[in-house]
Amino acid sequence: MIADHRPRVPILAVRDLAIVYATRQGDVPAVRGVSFDIQRGETLGIVGESGCGKSTVAFGIVNFLGANGRIVSGEILFQGQNLVGKSEGDLRKIRGDRIAMVYQDPMQALNPSMRLGDQMAEVLIVHRGMDRKAAEAKCIQMLERVYMPDAANVMKRYPHQISGGQQQRVVIAMALLNDPALLIMDEPTTALDVTVEAAVLDLIADLQRDFDTAIMYISHNLGVIARVADRVAVMYAGEMVERAAVADIFLRPSHPYTQGLMRCVPRLGQDKTSSYLYPIPGRVPSPQALPPGCIFEPRCAFARRECGQRRPELREVAAGHWASCLFAEEIAEQGWKPPAPAEKAPSPGASAFPPVGARRAADRPILKVEHMKTFYRVPSRRLFGGREYVRAVDDVSIEVRPGETLGIVGESGCGKSTLVKTIIGLETPTAGTVEFMGIDIAQPVSRRSLDILKNLQMVFQNPDSTLNPSFSVGAQIGRALRRFRKLPGREVRAEVIRLLDLMKLGERYYDRLPRQLSGGEKQRVGIARAIAGRPEVVLCDEPVSALDVSVQAAVLNLLLEIQQQMGTTMVFIAHDLSVVRFFCDTIAVMYLGQIVEIGPAEAIYMPPYHPYTEALLSAVPIPDPRVEQARIRLSGTVPSALNPPAGCRFHTRCPRKLGAICETQTPPWQVAATGQRIFCHIPLAELSRMASVITLKEAPHAG
Amino acid sequence: MLVKDYMTRHPLLADPDMPVVDAQRFMVEANVRRLPVVGDGKRLLGLVTRQSLLVDPGRLGSLNMWEIAGYLARLTVKDVMIKAKDVIVIGPEATIEEAARLMVEKKVGCLPVLEDGAVVGIITETDLLAQLTSMMDLRSPGVRATVRMPTDQVGGLARLVNAIAARGWGINALGGSVYPKDPAWWDAVVKIEGVTKEELLAVLQQVPGETVVDIREV
Amino acid sequence: MTASTQSISLAARPRWWRRIWNGLAILFASKTAVVGLIIVLFWVTAAICAPLLTPYSPTAQDYRAQNSGPSAAHILGTDDLGRDIWSRLLYGARIVLIMLPVGEHVWLPLGTAIWGVLLGLLVGCTLGLVAGYLGGWIDEVVMRVLDAMMAFPVILLYMIIIAAVGASATNVVLAIAIVGTPGIARLVRGLTLDIRTRDYIRAAEIRGERKLYIMFVEILPNARGPIVIDAMLRVGYAIFAMGTLGFLGLGLPPPSPDWGSMVASGRRYILAGSPWAALWPSLAIASLVVGLNLLADGLREESMRYQ
Repeated sequence: MIADHRPRVPILAVRDLAIVYATRQGDVPAVRGVSFDIQRGETLGIVGESGCGKSTVAFGIVNFLGANGRIVSGEILFQGQNLVGKSEGDLRKIRGDRIAMVYQDPMQALNPSMRLGDQMAEVLIVHRGMDRKAAEAKCIQMLERVYMPDAANVMKRYPHQISGGQQQRVVIAMALLNDPALLIMDEPTTALDVTVEAAVLDLIADLQRDFDTAIMYISHNLGVIARVADRVAVMYAGEMVERAAVADIFLRPSHPYTQGLMRCVPRLGQDKTSSYLYPIPGRVPSPQALPPGCIFEPRCAFARRECGQRRPELREVAAGHWASCLFAEEIAEQGWKPPAPAEKAPSPGASAFPPVGARRAADRPILKVEHMKTFYRVPSRRLFGGREYVRAVDDVSIEVRPGETLGIVGESGCGKSTLVKTIIGLETPTAGTVEFMGIDIAQPVSRRSLDILKNLQMVFQNPDSTLNPSFSVGAQIGRALRRFRKLPGREVRAEVIRLLDLMKLGERYYDRLPRQLSGGEKQRVGIARAIAGRPEVVLCDEPVSALDVSVQAAVLNLLLEIQQQMGTTMVFIAHDLSVVRFFCDTIAVMYLGQIVEIGPAEAIYMPPYHPYTEALLSAVPIPDPRVEQARIRLSGTVPSALNPPAGCRFHTRCPRKLGAICETQTPPWQVAATGQRIFCHIPLAELSRMASVITLKEAPHAG
Repeated sequence: MLVKDYMTRHPLLADPDMPVVDAQRFMVEANVRRLPVVGDGKRLLGLVTRQSLLVDPGRLGSLNMWEIAGYLARLTVKDVMIKAKDVIVIGPEATIEEAARLMVEKKVGCLPVLEDGAVVGIITETDLLAQLTSMMDLRSPGVRATVRMPTDQVGGLARLVNAIAARGWGINALGGSVYPKDPAWWDAVVKIEGVTKEELLAVLQQVPGETVVDIREV
Repeated sequence: MTASTQSISLAARPRWWRRIWNGLAILFASKTAVVGLIIVLFWVTAAICAPLLTPYSPTAQDYRAQNSGPSAAHILGTDDLGRDIWSRLLYGARIVLIMLPVGEHVWLPLGTAIWGVLLGLLVGCTLGLVAGYLGGWIDEVVMRVLDAMMAFPVILLYMIIIAAVGASATNVVLAIAIVGTPGIARLVRGLTLDIRTRDYIRAAEIRGERKLYIMFVEILPNARGPIVIDAMLRVGYAIFAMGTLGFLGLGLPPPSPDWGSMVASGRRYILAGSPWAALWPSLAIASLVVGLNLLADGLREESMRYQ
């Protein structure tokens, strides 16, 4: 075909953008010197960790910076016209007609008190002056374009009556109603389940092809970026450090920060042994105290003297590949060496933590759950009698041996959190037994003995709410120590400091308040508090989901270290199969209150699979363009736990449904040769013939 | 082959209050010859071309030098544009032949594409020309043959295609039109890869009632 | 599920005086709060330094200068019994803000209004924490009782209580506490309901901490912001209530320089041409209440500004 003769004015061209926020202490430079282009029909992925300024750039483009943010320099050329300095009236016209934004939380764009149809039609009526009937017809058409089942009915519903994934589809449909030239998406799928996310990402790619929209896709998830973006820009501490085509970023990252990110991310394509994660040492500089030279220099393994003196500019190091590192070409060739063995040695103070208890006989599980059910009573909506139960956990049995790590994976609503809360005593089981160290603990936490409490502790998901904001770090860990161990007063402080050393934090954190800590640090303090009493078993409820990528790696390694040195047994909950892989010995996959597959970790990732596991694996975004992933998408949504389907609970969405048997009979447990147990009607022989969901297209590069 | 698949979406647009000098500069920088002028909701208000930006000397007749400069500086796009009612437009679901016909009949070089009154794209002569080259698959090398047959004869094209298919060859591009100089005859153009001129010529000469008027390698 | 923003600085935790200074900086950043603070500080200093600011005793009567207007001898004039109004205001401020007369010659530091609010805080916080954290039927019962109390018009409630137990400073404290408890309890209950969903409360529960510990040590310190601001407003309400009670004759017994009774006794002389005895105490009450309100508002505004 002849080269594209169309005008090559980029839809969006940002040049040297700088944005500051006003705070009580003065102006804080949130974004400095950012430049990039987006062409028609192209997706630019902007990657960075929290605080890097990626959302600020998006808000700057649409002028949603709020009262205390403003653009101080630079140009934003949208279809050739500079948006900086335009009046609010002009900007509003452009924003309404030609730029659309989709947020992480669909409820930020949807009015909860208006019907969906009315909200969508309003967009057309107000901006295009269409009459109501024509507007509604177009809305239905657009809803069908986003594969919304039963579009005409959805128009009459309210936002809370549809699921999160459907809400996001509606928001995307609304954004596209006006045929915008630029679509800005700020983490649109982060709050969605993995399988729902996969479907929405497919939709976005589909729509982009038809509407030829330029998309600016912001995310901290490298896997998602690998899937949606054509080109990628990496941001760090308010600056853009690298910009290249997606394959180049992932296979030949030229900036040390990008390289560091690649090393922190667990990848499904790797095998377990080579998948140790290498976190980036240090922490992100605060915008008020930026290093004088290169902003990454304090954490860079390749830093030289010039790096601390000169601030590097973004320059082209290869065709179409830009990086802001003075020595980018040399770094790419050198490759990167793992840190010296000294760093991998046990941290100071670790010798003070000998393994907990002697290894018991291999066959006696330390935690045993049998046929556990936890139901929540909901007030019945009918006038007279009839109780309804949310069957959060419905007949689950697991066994954990001392020193083992069990991973529980599932999407929202599968019951994994309830399972863990019942084990720890925050909920009471409706039926079944829970045995811990041989003792029945099916009681609420207030009735358990101190010994049980001491040995069964928990690490929570949200770092912001896991610590009491009013007390110092030392006081909180100390409290746990005082409860569970009989130490003389002076010893407590020393022991707390030893724990802080084990967490790689150190003594200077003793007096800090939680608000002075970063997310990762707070999570580490939470872990220190949990293991202060040297518990036998620690339950971890998604401890790394809310953390940045590089911080996740550090915390996961820390947990691994604790497990290896202290012999602690762990139950690790996650919604992401890639995170649990290198960490767990056994993995269980849950769906709608039941376990559908359980077995040795490696076996879960290879056939035979339970159909749900297969769908999960094919939905997880993988940050590696060399990996080929099957495309299996689940239709429909998770049924309500109030009234789960009869027979196999997965049959309403299963792509491999056999037939009536799945709807009526409970499936049997089948044991595969590789050791996992699968809860499915499909004969094992057929399951074993399934193709592997994830395959490497070529041999992995060295290093 | 509908307009919506070949048009340029999200074309550069102009605001009616944009000063003419800015619009001129914009068109030069962006290397476009036409700018649709839109109001709220991308509603088409008019069209400016490089031509229409040239100032009509008649209007300036009575002004002196300074007034002229002032007049030019204040001139906005809406003063010089072709008004919407005079702009020829087309819908996205129309065929490209329809678009071409309009361009030929009305002697315009481009057509804004409107859906529900809003500008969703623009299709220009160059788009259609580019489409023509892709129709005839100009990019890849092969042999191109023009075969002439009587216009009224039924099944002439089918015989031609069968003859080619019988040899197991694939047709990369196929087109046809009435011979402009004599409507009694109809020319079919085929392009085939992986054959030599001689082989193709030999096969085509076998087809009864049709003559090969041109054969070449491209 | 985005991660929290990276922390501000790794500097050592500031010394205690630095923290107070930072706290005050928030206060000084708001003009409203500064104005309020000036007014309140004026009255507090005036009350503390009362003997230094006036040569007259609040109860000294001068029959030669009854109901006189402002003059060189009496800055604000005298009341119907010839007592200097300025002195009575100063010593009245003492009782409200600085000292609580318990018996004939016994007094406690911190004035009546403040004690009333403190007592209300004590009871209100406890009830609020218990209702919010324990929930269930305890919550229902407590809330219904408090609702019933709140259904009474405030002044009526005050009058009932004082009429029942008699008028004295300690009884006024009791009345203020009783009237303030439902509002405080409701506020604390709301805060508790929110805070108890946090993970650190879960962590405390799985450590087996007792409920009392969780309520008073884990939850309460995190609710102090709104409680402090509310308490400041309540001191204002209490002062106003004291004024009203005094006006109705239910305040501190004479010759105590109660601002409200000053207004009551001065009221008769307004139309006779001597409004001073009623005017100055009214202005005093108003200014103090407004000052406290401004202080509370300013603090609330500043603490929300950079959210």
